[in-house]
Amino acid sequence: MDALAALLAGFQVALTPLNLAVAFAGVALGTAIGALPGIGPINAVALLLPLCFALKLPPETALILLAGLYYGSGYGGRISSILLNIPGDPGLVMTTLDGYPLAKSGRGAAALAISGIGSFVGGTSAVILMTFLAVPLTRLALSFGPADYVALMVLSFALLGTMSEGKAVKTWIAVALGLLLAMVGIDGGTGVERFTFGSLELLGGIDFTSLTIGLFAVAEILFLAEGMISGVVSRTGNGARLTFREIVYCIPAMLRATGLGFFLGVLPGTGASVASAMAYTAEKRISDKGTFGKGDMRGLAAPETADNAAQTGSMVPMLALGIPGSGTTAVMLGAFMMYSITPGPLLFTQRPEVAWGLIASMYIGNLMLLVLNLPLVGLFARLLLVPAWILYPGILALSYAGVYAVSNSAFELLITTGIGVLAYILRRVGIPLIPLMLAFVLARLLEDNFRRALSLSDGGYEILFATPTSIVLWLLAVVAIGLPLIRKPKLHQAAMAEAGKPGA
Amino acid sequence: MIDRLVGLICALIGAGAIWHAQTLHVPFAADPVGPRVFPTIIGGVLILCGFILMLRPGPVTMEFGTWPRALAVLVASLIYPLLLLPIGFIAATALLCFVAALAFHARPLPAAVSAVATAVVFFVLLDKMLDLPLPRGPLGI
Repeated sequence: MDALAALLAGFQVALTPLNLAVAFAGVALGTAIGALPGIGPINAVALLLPLCFALKLPPETALILLAGLYYGSGYGGRISSILLNIPGDPGLVMTTLDGYPLAKSGRGAAALAISGIGSFVGGTSAVILMTFLAVPLTRLALSFGPADYVALMVLSFALLGTMSEGKAVKTWIAVALGLLLAMVGIDGGTGVERFTFGSLELLGGIDFTSLTIGLFAVAEILFLAEGMISGVVSRTGNGARLTFREIVYCIPAMLRATGLGFFLGVLPGTGASVASAMAYTAEKRISDKGTFGKGDMRGLAAPETADNAAQTGSMVPMLALGIPGSGTTAVMLGAFMMYSITPGPLLFTQRPEVAWGLIASMYIGNLMLLVLNLPLVGLFARLLLVPAWILYPGILALSYAGVYAVSNSAFELLITTGIGVLAYILRRVGIPLIPLMLAFVLARLLEDNFRRALSLSDGGYEILFATPTSIVLWLLAVVAIGLPLIRKPKLHQAAMAEAGKPGA
Repeated sequence: MIDRLVGLICALIGAGAIWHAQTLHVPFAADPVGPRVFPTIIGGVLILCGFILMLRPGPVTMEFGTWPRALAVLVASLIYPLLLLPIGFIAATALLCFVAALAFHARPLPAAVSAVATAVVFFVLLDKMLDLPLPRGPLGI
């Protein structure tokens, strides 16, 4: 298998001392940041993004760090869900359903252990699937022309609209706003200034790090400062420890959740929140005997496993097609672009050290996480006892320090705060931020492919619908746009209603 | 009601984008599409979505917490960039963290201690250990 040979070469990249250290730092910090209430994977990645650039890390090292933060925070997120009943991001809402009852009945340690094992099973199986699926997927992508890419991106946006909570029309507004924001600056094709309003600072466009920090750090802190989130930490300890029988008992649930989570993660637009909701609902349908919601181990293992499998799965389309499957992978795609690396089919042949180094590091990272999250989980749980008034001001300060370090400009901090205020208002009126982020990252690619297609046909729009691939993708997009009009996305809403809280 | 207002604003932004796109002057025709078409389409999408939202608004629940606390954090964030270069990273960050800590229900003395500690820790970590130059104040620290 050439995948195995390539993976072996990847391990040579991932096992260098710097990359090992960075992978460890990534997963440990990811677990720690993920464990904080109200802070999820996308916040963790956004927070550390500017530091990666400011430190001028080589691209594969930076991506190993960011990816480590991403799947590490998937492990850490369960801690606040189980002990505090506060999910760090929508993907963790389902973890609270059976996790918190277990913690309240004194089996917090067992709950943390089984969910840690679930995270490991989901994460590692998904990396294995990714190892063998990434290259075949790139072969498919190699046959894509510009028009197919345009259709594929429109389909991703459409799927976001179908799968997100709330109104689909608001998702489209978010997408349009993200595309507009990305257009600020000099147009690559002709050198014309667009939407700069004569400002010199805006000539270079809106900086990607300022946007992510504004959207996912500043706005988050503003929300948290209003005090909408509070809770009492449950003890981890005193109840019975996790037994081997209980682990075996949960294995079928974990395997089912892995398959479901990985598949949903790979689909563009559907992220970990949909995967964990569906895994919980499916597991409940299969094995519930009135114990689900009251502290059933399987009800905890299934969504946790699916959450981590989906996280890793969502990296597959990002690496193989250059189209991210979730908000956090969109941030990572932006990071690739800042290094002038274009993910997609050519990544695996032209920069194999980046692609395979990253994949190999995820095997190592998941092993590190298993160690960090089983014996040492108490250490991370103790983070919940640090008062909010130390944690959140610190996060705010780190955000601004990062933006300053990468830009060396105080003006950039004002822009970041401005974006934070905009994001706060958008969230208030129900316009989701993740589609905005995704659109901002994809805007350049979308417009370039759109213009390339039309210059092939000398301006004729029929070329957008000329290939069989593009016709299929357009039809799927039409279905995805039309679906919410006919039928509300019931499953997701029902699952959310069951959780009894809005997706944070 | 809020949805109608959001829809109206979106439609206006869309119209503005289309208007702006038409004013773009292209010196030479590099490709048959040019920089105008894409913003025009996006503007069109925004106008369409704006109208849909205006015609079929949904309920928006505005559940505010203690918003003055968020406002305090915001004001501190806006003042921070203005102070950063004149008084240096440590002093400015300590001030930012102090206000933010108060907003997160800290008592003044612990807030001050943790704010100064946070600022010093980040300065040592970023400037001294990771070699990312941060602004020094008048005293050179």
